Amino acid sequence: METIPKNEEQSTAAPTAPPAERLAYSVQEAADMLGINYYTMYRLIQRQKLKTCRVLRGKLLVPRTELLQLLQTELR
Amino acid sequence: MNYYEKPTPLQESANAEAMIVFAEHMKQFKAHCQSVHNVENNLTRLGNTAFNAALDSSGWAVQTDDGIQWQHGVDLMENVSICHRSKAAGFEFAVVETLPLNSGAKKDVVNSGHDVREVLQAFTRDQRLTFKFWKDDVTEQVREHLAEKYPHQDMSIVVESFEIKLARAISEKQTLAQNHSRGVRI
Repeated sequence: METIPKNEEQSTAAPTAPPAERLAYSVQEAADMLGINYYTMYRLIQRQKLKTCRVLRGKLLVPRTELLQLLQTELR
Repeated sequence: MNYYEKPTPLQESANAEAMIVFAEHMKQFKAHCQSVHNVENNLTRLGNTAFNAALDSSGWAVQTDDGIQWQHGVDLMENVSICHRSKAAGFEFAVVETLPLNSGAKKDVVNSGHDVREVLQAFTRDQRLTFKFWKDDVTEQVREHLAEKYPHQDMSIVVESFEIKLARAISEKQTLAQNHSRGVRI
């Protein structure tokens, strides 16, 4: 009986799913995305131009929707 | 590390490691605190310069995103300047911040008013609040980093030492003032 060699790589590789879009980013990540330094980010937060949240009293998180809203306001 | 409790060798090494990880944050934090202290220490001079610029009607034109035309007066710090415009009731001053976003610069009026000194004071007060947000957030990032790196270990003393360092950077001006007054008394 003829045996067919099993391609290990093909059999184990799972189909690659598109990465899930994150709901929120750290201040540093958000600053990098906007192209500003994080002091400016904290200034925007203090002036309530950007709303933030915390999970379990942890670090500040900037929701993705807030970043999009800031950019939309700017484009108006 | 704080002065009341002796850290364990693990806490000391965690502190040294976290200092490296958060070195850039600490450096930036101190630098920005210093620029706000500079504004606070030179409030009168900056106010006079801004007022004189308004009297001379000098400075290049600045249009903020709300459509108002200003004239540039004095730079306060990176991307932040005090601007002026002439109104029927007198001069109006504004702290204008430029946000160099990836998609283009945005110019915002941070605060404004007719008394240049009050405008500057309101600005420095706001910066102190900003530093509080920044300090609390960095402290939480340090806590999170240590919890991940040293699970089930008490690293509160290390977190506290970061919090103290950041708080000191904010209150440096007061410390300097206190030292100075002590010197005068002696």
